[in-house]
Amino acid sequence: MTEQTFPLYGGKAASLQERLGDASPQERKTVGTPFVEEPRMTCRDVDVFYGGKQAISKVSIDIGRNQVLAMIGPSGCGKSTFLRCLNRMNDTVGACRVEGEIRLDGIDIYDPSVDVVPLRARVGMVFQKPNPFPKSIYDNVAYGPRIHGLTKDKNELDEIVETSLHKAGLWEEVKDRLREPGTGLSGGQQQRLCIARAIAVSPEVILMDEPCSALDPIATAKVEELIAELRTQYSIVIVTHAMQQASRVSQRTAYFHLGDLIEVGPTERIFTNPRHKLTEDYITGRFG
Amino acid sequence: MNVSHLVAAAGLTILMAGPAMAARDYISIVGSSTVYPFATVVAEQYGKSSGAKTPKIESTGTGGGFKLFCGGVGVDHPDISNASRAIKESEMKACADNGVKEIVEVKIGYDGIVLANAKAAPEFKVSRKDIFLALAKEVPDPKDPAKLIANPYKTWKEINAELPDSKIEVLGPPPTSGTRDAFVELVMEVGAEKIDSLKAMKKADAKAFAKVFQTIREDGAYVEAGENDNLIVQKLQANPKAMGIFGFSFLDQNADVIKGSVIDGKGPSYEAIADGSYPVSRPLFFYVKKAHVEVIPGIKGFLAEFTNDKAWGKDGYLADKGLIAMPDAERKQMAEVVSKLTPMAMK
Amino acid sequence: MNDNGTNTAMNASPNLLAPASDLKRRYRTDKWFQRIGLGAIALSLAFIALLFFHIVREGHSAFVRANIMLDIDFAEKHFVKENLAAADYTALVKQALTEAFPEVVDRRDKRQLFSLLSSGAAYQLRDMVLANPRLIGTRQQVWLPADDDVDMLQKGKIDRNLPEENRRINDRQLSWLDTLASQGRLETQFNTAFFTGGDSREPELAGVLGAVKGTMLTLAITLMLSFPVGVAAAIYLEEFAPQNRWTDLIEVNINNLAAVPSIIFGLLGLAVFINFFGLPRSTPIVGGLVLALLTLPTIIIAGRAALKSVPPSIREAALGIGASKMQTVVHHVLPLALPGMLTGTIIGMAHALGETAPLLMIGMVAFIADVPGSIGDPAAVLPVQIYLWADSPERGFTEKTSAAIIILLAFLMTMNSLAIYLRKRFEIKW
Ligand SMILES: Nc1ncnc2c1ncn2[C@@H]1O[C@H](COP(=O)(O)OP(=O)(O)OP(=O)(O)O)[C@@H](O)[C@H]1O
Ligand SMILES: [Mg+2]
Repeated sequence: MTEQTFPLYGGKAASLQERLGDASPQERKTVGTPFVEEPRMTCRDVDVFYGGKQAISKVSIDIGRNQVLAMIGPSGCGKSTFLRCLNRMNDTVGACRVEGEIRLDGIDIYDPSVDVVPLRARVGMVFQKPNPFPKSIYDNVAYGPRIHGLTKDKNELDEIVETSLHKAGLWEEVKDRLREPGTGLSGGQQQRLCIARAIAVSPEVILMDEPCSALDPIATAKVEELIAELRTQYSIVIVTHAMQQASRVSQRTAYFHLGDLIEVGPTERIFTNPRHKLTEDYITGRFG
Repeated sequence: MNVSHLVAAAGLTILMAGPAMAARDYISIVGSSTVYPFATVVAEQYGKSSGAKTPKIESTGTGGGFKLFCGGVGVDHPDISNASRAIKESEMKACADNGVKEIVEVKIGYDGIVLANAKAAPEFKVSRKDIFLALAKEVPDPKDPAKLIANPYKTWKEINAELPDSKIEVLGPPPTSGTRDAFVELVMEVGAEKIDSLKAMKKADAKAFAKVFQTIREDGAYVEAGENDNLIVQKLQANPKAMGIFGFSFLDQNADVIKGSVIDGKGPSYEAIADGSYPVSRPLFFYVKKAHVEVIPGIKGFLAEFTNDKAWGKDGYLADKGLIAMPDAERKQMAEVVSKLTPMAMK
Repeated sequence: MNDNGTNTAMNASPNLLAPASDLKRRYRTDKWFQRIGLGAIALSLAFIALLFFHIVREGHSAFVRANIMLDIDFAEKHFVKENLAAADYTALVKQALTEAFPEVVDRRDKRQLFSLLSSGAAYQLRDMVLANPRLIGTRQQVWLPADDDVDMLQKGKIDRNLPEENRRINDRQLSWLDTLASQGRLETQFNTAFFTGGDSREPELAGVLGAVKGTMLTLAITLMLSFPVGVAAAIYLEEFAPQNRWTDLIEVNINNLAAVPSIIFGLLGLAVFINFFGLPRSTPIVGGLVLALLTLPTIIIAGRAALKSVPPSIREAALGIGASKMQTVVHHVLPLALPGMLTGTIIGMAHALGETAPLLMIGMVAFIADVPGSIGDPAAVLPVQIYLWADSPERGFTEKTSAAIIILLAFLMTMNSLAIYLRKRFEIKW
């Protein structure tokens, strides 16, 4: 089966295979095109364990520049776990152990010399549940730039706050109440505030874990619009359970199943012509 | 909130407090809770009239006081220890072992222990033998005096036909109290000796005898009322059948609500205790560490205040507080010991 | 909506209109529970009211004091010595009394007459002269404290209808007092001495200031030590410590410490602070240290609970944009946990405020008449003062005891209101 699926890498397969060197058999079980030219982040043979339990096994995938990668899969398959490896949020979980190699612009982020603080500034994160700080809207957005010392004076900070809110599509709604608590906003507004907070530190990659699961269709649409816009500047990885959303916002889609990366490919192709049985079952709703 | 600042401030405070502790500019007194009400009055008078710092007095009990007092010489150790009994040989030895070699013993007067009941209740006239029979855990069997049995008496009348037919119910101090020690020694022991079979026993086996008079019954007839004598006074008012055991000063202060029982033919009046005719009284003392007298300011002044007739005399302010003054000759002799700071002979 | 439709609806959910007996039973349980809860609250309120009523009834009279007004002649002949403080002020009082009652000549009677005034009267005159030497040579009407027996009589705590031998005030003294009262020279007035004085063995002179100051100094030390240490320990254990056998052991021991009888802390304080470090007995510094040990477990446990209650999403949010662990804690977690920590601290402090047992071991249960000026001076604290007064033979201390309890309760209430204020102040809503 492995031999069978390998040619499906397509035209670029040869060059990618070269870069890969002698890939282990496990890697080859991923169907589709996990690697891209000029990736922003590269993940190779990533294993994640919670204590003795393996949650992710031998996942290799690239995250391209200025594109959205959607991660789909049944609940519990390890999407969040994998996403949280990308900015080392798993470090905060005591029992969690990550093996393999994850690089951001060629630098191994798990290297002991790498500091997580600047890493997380470069790889921002938006969570499933909106979690603004119980501070003012302004302070929510300004917090990142402040702790990273990104601004010289108040004017610059004001500017960052304004542009971030603009980018997050929230400016018009909150410009008159920047001093009011962020927790007083509606759910959709809060989530966009969290996105503004994440982009205020000018990250290179934004990780989003089911950012719309708590939102109504209108708020979801706004966030989706926003993602489409942000893609022009950032690399985005989004976890979602909504097939529609994945097909709307992403350029590439990765399907996870029980800790394995089953299939990766251009979104359109995955949804119209899945090559793996599991992927097909999942997106056609036979499995889930 | 800067946590490290607070920690630093706390640390600094402790450091700054250090130097202040090298010397002590006030007298430190420990010891008996019976002497405490008298010593405190003197301390207050001394403090007010001299303008010096008022001595600090801890009520630790006589034994506890000696333990601290004999801990050694130096500002960390008390200067004076109050006692409701004379210092024991073992305590003197402990003192000597810790370098406390010269101690001045000062007798200050007498304290009576009274058996009292509510003003409304009939007056009690008892003998110490009656009290022993009422309160000992084991008493001689009336049928066979050589045998000890658990105390069978329920009412006073069963003990002595002249006493009222009321239940035996006595509120008294716990074993930790000096008043209890004195009560056991002055009432229970003497009462037991009045019984022939026990007298014989004392000769034969002093230890067994001591056990008999020291062990107070635990079947509810004797109620340990805690160290608080005021509480006993209140309980007596509420229960006219009950009797209470406490120091004379409490009777003196509450003569409008309680009255003392006549013991062996004498009532607990000031005069009867002073002339020694009231049988249940004990001398009170304090002990001065001679080595401290020149070091700690004010000890001489405090001693002078205490041994002034204005304080411990028959009409002195200590008499108002219930201290029974010593006879003139004894007082004079004691005052001389104090002025010369004649130490006790150490054994 | 047609008939048919209504029927279907009714058929589909018949039990909505006719509640099942099971539902009724559930409502009944609800009601019972509410009643029991209300009853419990009413009962505890009743007990508190009873306690307050009793204490206030017993103690309110301590806030006034019987004073006697005398015409004091500060004649120059009394002040011949250089040292004004050494003059015989008792003589001034005695002279004034003799003038007021010239018919009393017998030595014994005079003694009884003089005993109507407190021994504090002479000291009051001395302080007046020292403060204002120009009084010398003048004649002044001065309100002086009466003896505690007079005070008790004025307050009705000595029954004047008892037979004379049962009264601490005899008939002659009564008649003199009546004379004074009829001249308007005997009055019960507000008892300032109770608030400005230290302890005294004379009930009419005894005050709570020494104990209040001692309490403040002691609690200040306690707070300064236990709050930062407790908060730091809670933060470390909750946010930073690895989960292993050692931290489990520490946690178990902290919980154990919270349940250790307080006297043990006194013994520890005696052994460590006094015997080993040589700090002086009976002082707020040692008391504060001991009480800090006592309150630490409470503060740590409350602090950890407060930290635990901060939603993890806040931590993730901060970490997710690159805040360091410490920044996350200080900027986001701590402000949210602070109200809970403050509450825990105040509960711990209130607990410490009521303690006497550990203080017994370190010599703070002592007669200390001087008002402490620093943490190195001997001092008593309020609960100790209450304990000592309750144990004093003089009748006058009964009301003082209750009054000191009122002060202690006021202290507690102030602390608790402060806690509520601080909590409100720092509370962050979302
Ligand atoms: N902190 C943890 N400790 C132990 N096991 C964990 C932890 N977090 C996740 N897991 C386990 O790892 C596996 C993957 O979990 P993960 O949260 O990554 O799933 P997911 O794909 O994000 O699911 P969902 O779509 O429901 O969010 C699950 O089996 C889960 O039980
Ligand atoms: Mg998830």
